[in-house]
Amino acid sequence: MRWTLFIGALIGSSICDREKFFGDQVFRINVRNGDEISKLSQLVNSNNLKLDVWKSLSTFNRPVDVLVPSVSLQAVKSFLRSQGLEYAVAIEDLQIYHEMDNIAADFPDLARRVKIGHSFENRPMYVLKFSTGKGARRPAIWLNAGIHSREWISQATAIWTARKIVSDYQRDPAITSILEKMDIFLLPVANPDGYVYTQTQNRLWRKTRSLNPGSSCIGADPNRNWNASFAGKGASDNPCSEVYHGPHANSEVEVKSVVDFIQKHGNFKCFIDLHSYSQLLMYPYGYSAKKAPDAKELDKVARRAAKALASVSGTEYQVGPTCATVYPASGSSIDWAYDNGIKFAFTFELRDTGTYGFLLPANQIIPTAEETWLGLTTIMEHVRDNLY
Amino acid sequence: MQPRRQPPPAPRSGPGNPRPTAPLLALLLLLAPVVAPAGSRGAEDPGQPQDAEVPRRLLQQAARAALHFFNFRAGSPSALRVLAEVQEGRAWINPKEGCKVDVVFSTERYKPESLLQEGEGHLGKCSARVFFKNQKPRPAINVTCTRLIEKKKRQQEDYLLHKQMKHLEKPLETVSIPDNHGHIDPSLRPIWDLAFLGSSYVMWEMTTQVSHYYLAQLTSVRQWKTNDDTIDFDYTVLLHELSTQEIIPCRIHLVWYPGKPLKVKYHCQELQTPEEASGTEEGSAVPTELSNF
Repeated sequence: MRWTLFIGALIGSSICDREKFFGDQVFRINVRNGDEISKLSQLVNSNNLKLDVWKSLSTFNRPVDVLVPSVSLQAVKSFLRSQGLEYAVAIEDLQIYHEMDNIAADFPDLARRVKIGHSFENRPMYVLKFSTGKGARRPAIWLNAGIHSREWISQATAIWTARKIVSDYQRDPAITSILEKMDIFLLPVANPDGYVYTQTQNRLWRKTRSLNPGSSCIGADPNRNWNASFAGKGASDNPCSEVYHGPHANSEVEVKSVVDFIQKHGNFKCFIDLHSYSQLLMYPYGYSAKKAPDAKELDKVARRAAKALASVSGTEYQVGPTCATVYPASGSSIDWAYDNGIKFAFTFELRDTGTYGFLLPANQIIPTAEETWLGLTTIMEHVRDNLY
Repeated sequence: MQPRRQPPPAPRSGPGNPRPTAPLLALLLLLAPVVAPAGSRGAEDPGQPQDAEVPRRLLQQAARAALHFFNFRAGSPSALRVLAEVQEGRAWINPKEGCKVDVVFSTERYKPESLLQEGEGHLGKCSARVFFKNQKPRPAINVTCTRLIEKKKRQQEDYLLHKQMKHLEKPLETVSIPDNHGHIDPSLRPIWDLAFLGSSYVMWEMTTQVSHYYLAQLTSVRQWKTNDDTIDFDYTVLLHELSTQEIIPCRIHLVWYPGKPLKVKYHCQELQTPEEASGTEEGSAVPTELSNF
């Protein structure tokens, strides 16, 4: 099963029947005369590009909207430029943002899509806020995904989880009772620029796409950019490194957007960051070997969560503090969260353990999301019962 | 990707030194086997045998290094193994020399494309002694494994794979195996299995106490005609190193014939320093065909 089929199945009838995947763009093309119309027709009718006309031609001087699959982006751009056809990119990242919008539209009393900022390349940063609404600034849970763009199972699990939350509310006692007491904020694509880049240019891109003055290397590791022992052990000051921490803490606008939002809200009790791969469930600290004051409790919760996760398909996770379990890492999201009063801070490294690594096949998305859901709810139930 | 400044490492070929199969099981019987609790630290304490708190991670990495070496030595693309579970282990750290790990682990057959879960398929068992020399790659490894696949079956599969390789139609150049969605076309499996085999050698040679590699993707393949029926091909793989998170492209040249020792030569690129001004943008991943225009 391909990722395209998965997305199609997940999103259902709300999108037209051609399968799409992340990274498709809508080109708005200006046609000014008959000659340009015929050039455009040539392009649209070419079989191998698989273009889809959304808003078609009626008269001259009216733009035509064409959906271009991400695999054809380069080809179409080259063609348009070479033929002198004017165009603008109208919408990007249809699918995941569209799906978030659908969820909010389908469950308006529970879910809302909220813009919390923008990326370096000016893409919106959207979270889904799940709230049963009673009371302002209720204790809240932050679910973070896709901070490392190549870890595709993270974004996929997040969007599946969003659907799961709205579908199971008032059907499943666990999530219902969690939502009665707390709000959940879900950020499925914490690094949108990187994500688009993995679809269009380099499948294994990890970092943001910010420019580094004086270097030809691009991007910083957004999970080394938080203000928690920034530029300490387990990060690099080389812009070409995959773990480059950036020029200063919160230099990456994607990170700053989350930090500002959480600080402004002021009542988060839980922060969970989804990554891949290795099958690990970890808690602070990554920036040092010192034991977190709540390590004992966090370890207990994590073990319970890992056990619940394993009960679904037998997938084994290892549990422990970041530094010892995987490697030292400074400036990480959960260390920042923990040191800023968010006690229940965890990182999931999802499937697998290296057979496919980042290139996890589509047929493992739903099994991964389903088992992870049990891990997540175990943690959220504990938070619910241990609010501070 | 730009050519590196430093000269490539001396090409290595051949099967490596034949190692006597050490009486490892006997050795382990003399030592009290210790079950390693998960997630605990202790490997940093210098000079003492770590009886109690052996980090599970260290044992796993030792097991994986042992398997890279084992797979390479076995020289059979049909008999590749991956780590199933670490069962027990012990480690000794000597700050002057390095780190020695004894580990016992179970393995299963490497079979991507099947939703392999616990208990499915046959499990083999291995014992290994892995010695990570301080700051140096190419850990010294003694490893013994129980047989996982019947010898005759393995030979048959190897010969079949050999035949499939010889009959590949297209010369194949730029490929992505698996594709970006993790899919390996069945017709490309022989190429992938051979690439995995050759990469095992490279990954073993590059492994140190802190650097551990995984095979992420195959990005180019070129097969050469031969007079003597061997399979001869050049390919590029992307290795993923865990502690630095780097993706390392390696060019590998492999010569193989069923039952014969594998011959591998390779060159891996190094991380760009900040001063190097050459472009790091990866080339467009998507080949574009616009022949009508």
